[in-house]
Amino acid sequence: MSDAIIKTTGLSKEYGRGDTRVRALRGVDLEVPRGSFTCIVGPSGHGKSTLMHLIGGLDRPSGGSVSIDGQEMFTLKGKQLAELRAKKIGFVFQFFNLLQSLTAAENIEAALMLAGVPEVQQKQRARELLATVGLSDKVDAKPGQLSGGQQQRVAIARALANDPPVLLMDEPTGNLDSSAEAEVMTVLDELKRQGKTIILVTHSSEIAARASYLVKVRDGRIEEVVTSRQVLKKIA
Amino acid sequence: MTPNKLVYKNLTRRRGRFIFTLLGIVIGMASFVAFMAMGGSLKAEIERESAALGANLVVTPKGSCAYEQVSILTGEQLPTTITAAEVATIRAIEGMQAIPYLAERSAINNRPVSVMGVLPIETKEFKGWQIAKGVYFPTDDAEGAVLGAVLAEQFELEPGDQVRVRGTMLPVLGVLEETSGKDDLTIFLSLPQAQQLYQQNDLVSYVAVRVDKLDEVDLYAMKIKAQVSLGVVSDKQMLNSVLGIVGTVNVTLQLIAAVAILAAAFGIVNTMLTATYERKREIGILQAMGAARSTIFRLFLLESAIYGLLGGFGGAVLGLAGSFFVAPYISQNAATSFVKGSQTSVDPMLLLGAVFFSTLIAMLSGLYPAWKAAKLSPVEAISYE
Repeated sequence: MSDAIIKTTGLSKEYGRGDTRVRALRGVDLEVPRGSFTCIVGPSGHGKSTLMHLIGGLDRPSGGSVSIDGQEMFTLKGKQLAELRAKKIGFVFQFFNLLQSLTAAENIEAALMLAGVPEVQQKQRARELLATVGLSDKVDAKPGQLSGGQQQRVAIARALANDPPVLLMDEPTGNLDSSAEAEVMTVLDELKRQGKTIILVTHSSEIAARASYLVKVRDGRIEEVVTSRQVLKKIA
Repeated sequence: MTPNKLVYKNLTRRRGRFIFTLLGIVIGMASFVAFMAMGGSLKAEIERESAALGANLVVTPKGSCAYEQVSILTGEQLPTTITAAEVATIRAIEGMQAIPYLAERSAINNRPVSVMGVLPIETKEFKGWQIAKGVYFPTDDAEGAVLGAVLAEQFELEPGDQVRVRGTMLPVLGVLEETSGKDDLTIFLSLPQAQQLYQQNDLVSYVAVRVDKLDEVDLYAMKIKAQVSLGVVSDKQMLNSVLGIVGTVNVTLQLIAAVAILAAAFGIVNTMLTATYERKREIGILQAMGAARSTIFRLFLLESAIYGLLGGFGGAVLGLAGSFFVAPYISQNAATSFVKGSQTSVDPMLLLGAVFFSTLIAMLSGLYPAWKAAKLSPVEAISYE
């Protein structure tokens, strides 16, 4: 893979000690090309989410390294790493993870606030992003007033708040029915078209079929990397 | 969105818990402020009464302790063991003026009042009293009563009315001009009449002495002691002694209030720790969105500080209102009876200090919960259900 925006080298993660030690990742080497749509697939408990968390800088590895846009992630101190997360990575989770006390627009504004965007600009940007995901009429709605699909679209809009080059999504349709999944997939297609680098953990074959690359993880290792043409062949 | 708005949203999402935690700190601070305000006014009142006594020395019965000294300043009832002979001996000493007082108690409409037997003409001159209404005692043994201004107003008594003192109806001769001291709350009788009503023939409670040469106060104290077997205390000693008692009372009251504040502080710790656990997942989300640990720490600390800020302000207002309205009813004993005649002093520094102190306490209380929130691992927090 050339022009990699994300590169992991010998990435490993262990939990616990002694007899209770679990090796969640065992030396993962991965390069994710800029602007690609990469799906990470594999059985549950084999290290997919751990890989996502390490790529996103939410956790520190036991060994190896991760670089994003040429920046070694784990040489950074806490505050710098947080700044990198705010500006270069957008997260979307299975359970939407919106801040329940805030409206749809305020959830996006909070992400902008953490990146240091002035309040005046926050409001305008939040409305633009909600329009992008088709939720212009839900600006003042609280998460509890939105359907699952709508909440996930707000979460995607929030992840895009600071225009990050990389989007990390952990089973974004795992908690949605088929119509809501279709809503989210439409948004994903648009993001692909815009050239965002998307890394997505999924069990959905329909989403996997849209991927440029399919990374199969098993037992904490990359078992296979499949390219777009092969993906379609396999799905077929 | 600003950190302040985010904190406001978090604070008000559980309104009941917010209000009850806030009430804890409001009540704690209110009691603290009320005791401070009353203590402050008590001290000022004592200093004023001491000055109003107009004496450099006070002759008291032998063995008098600080309690009697408080009573002299408050106008409480005192043991009457100083004889007319002793008064005469003291008054015979040259270079000073000595005024005897008989301090007793009576009641009007079941409310206790001070009654003071005085030598009318000398005392008027000694104290610099002015008559506001009616007339003053025409002679040193005149029958009737002269009232303090506040007492006359409280019981709606005018010259010509009758006032009952120890079961005897006496005509009100006149009302003094306000002195802003305990004299405003006193019924004055001529000494002979007071001695007769209270069956204290030829006895007085204490003698106030003013010396001609201030630098010879100690010399005159010794002269008095040499002539009569009585206690002699200087105004400064008496002031220090009384202020010492009042100080102890104040510190005790403030310690009680401090316990209330401490309990409220633990209320904040509890609320904020609960918030940390409840919002564990949200803390993870904020971290994923780019919040540094220091940002999480600041958000939680700010939330605690707001409890302190609002609680301090609410407590200061409630405490001052409480001391203003409650003070006149709190006590009839010597140590606190000053308060009944005085207005609570509203010290702006006390208000500011209360708000600052409360915010500081709340922030200290919030340190541990904020630290707990900040040290959460993002992955652990996001995975929390």
